[in-house]
Amino acid sequence: MLNKIWAGLIIISIVYAASLDITDEWTNHYDNGHIYSLDYTASSQPGFIQLDYLNTTIKAQLHSRANHSFILIATDQPLPDPWLKVAHHQPGSNKEQIQAEVITIQPQTHQLQLRLPEIHWVKIRAITQAAFDTAEFAVKLALGLAGIMALWLGLMQIAEKSGLVFSFVKLIRPLLHKLFPEIPRDHPALGSIGLNLAANVLGLGNAATPLGIKAMQHLQQLNTHKDRASNSMCMFLALNTSSVQLLPPVTLIALMGTQVSELILPIILATCCSTLAAVIAVKLYTRAGKL
Amino acid sequence: MQHFTALVIPLIILFILSHGLFKKVAVYEEFIEGAREGFGTAVRIIPYLVAMLFAIAMFRASGAMEAIIELLTPLLSLFGIPAETLPMALIRPMTGSGSVGILAELIQTHGEDSIIVKIAATMFGSTETTLYVLAVYFGAVNITKTRYALQAGLIADLAGYLAAVVICFWFFS
Repeated sequence: MLNKIWAGLIIISIVYAASLDITDEWTNHYDNGHIYSLDYTASSQPGFIQLDYLNTTIKAQLHSRANHSFILIATDQPLPDPWLKVAHHQPGSNKEQIQAEVITIQPQTHQLQLRLPEIHWVKIRAITQAAFDTAEFAVKLALGLAGIMALWLGLMQIAEKSGLVFSFVKLIRPLLHKLFPEIPRDHPALGSIGLNLAANVLGLGNAATPLGIKAMQHLQQLNTHKDRASNSMCMFLALNTSSVQLLPPVTLIALMGTQVSELILPIILATCCSTLAAVIAVKLYTRAGKL
Repeated sequence: MQHFTALVIPLIILFILSHGLFKKVAVYEEFIEGAREGFGTAVRIIPYLVAMLFAIAMFRASGAMEAIIELLTPLLSLFGIPAETLPMALIRPMTGSGSVGILAELIQTHGEDSIIVKIAATMFGSTETTLYVLAVYFGAVNITKTRYALQAGLIADLAGYLAAVVICFWFFS
């Protein structure tokens, strides 16, 4: 399932992006190769000219060369719509100017013909860029977890050695035993699962993830196939993905302000529904796996 | 309530430490022993996170989601579900920051009082970023065969969405 969804996301993105781009090619969305014949006047600034395009005056810098002349158009001025599209989607990182090729220029009649850079494969380039950017971001995200993880794993180690985790296991065993029948009675996994769920319920996000990872490590000790998820792991993950949080998340409070108070009850009810669905789903899958 | 949560973590730390000292645990040494795994775990997660996040980012950048929404809109209106809430339902399991962005956008266009925002916010509050949690938790213990964990997580997300729709209509109209 994960294989299919993962590959599906990637394949759908590429095929869809390519189909959009091919449609753009077909309809010549970016007016590629279009030759603009314009009047121009010399500007008071040396080297600059003013282009007259559909009653808009556009300032541009003229670079005359023997075999190929070009003009540079700054994109911070009001530009006609097709030019804006070109400015926005042109390849390269410099979006501040468009480099247009001058085909002919007649200083006597003040007329010139120019061609804007061609735009191809906008969507394909966008998704490629997104893939690279996110790959980099993923590493930063993971390394950012290292410190907070070290902190909580260190504290957990103390709690395990002092017997605190064991006392906690005894306390919540009745609650968790039904959900995790495969965990032995006195195993510390029950303790770390309980702590993770408690952190989630209270909305302590940055404590919940390290504690959850600790719980996964405990569950891995009990796992007989080390590369394959156990039933307990699936149950634990389903509880975490369905969110057992009873307080509204901090981001929601920041976005909604005081309005959030009337959503507290709906959120708790919806959370109960999603968690219940997760538990039932895992139990059914576990039973189906045993048959 | 927020002031209470500010106290929770210092209290937990204080409790763990004093209990450790009381039980004559070499607290500093044990802390280091446990914390040693922190970096290794973070590094172990990297490939899982890269795999998951880059696929999601490509999907979001391709604009395929908008096409899917368009396809599903008639189906939703058949059941009277506002189609504007669909982006939240689709993005919530994939990215946390993306779903925050969608919620902010919905608030801007429809206002906090609209049923659309209420449904989206309830969905946001009642489910988690399933794919991210899956990558991090299974990545930490090097498990690639996730069996039915993803299905169960997505079923929970769907239940959360439908519950948010039903509950919000029941509460607010």
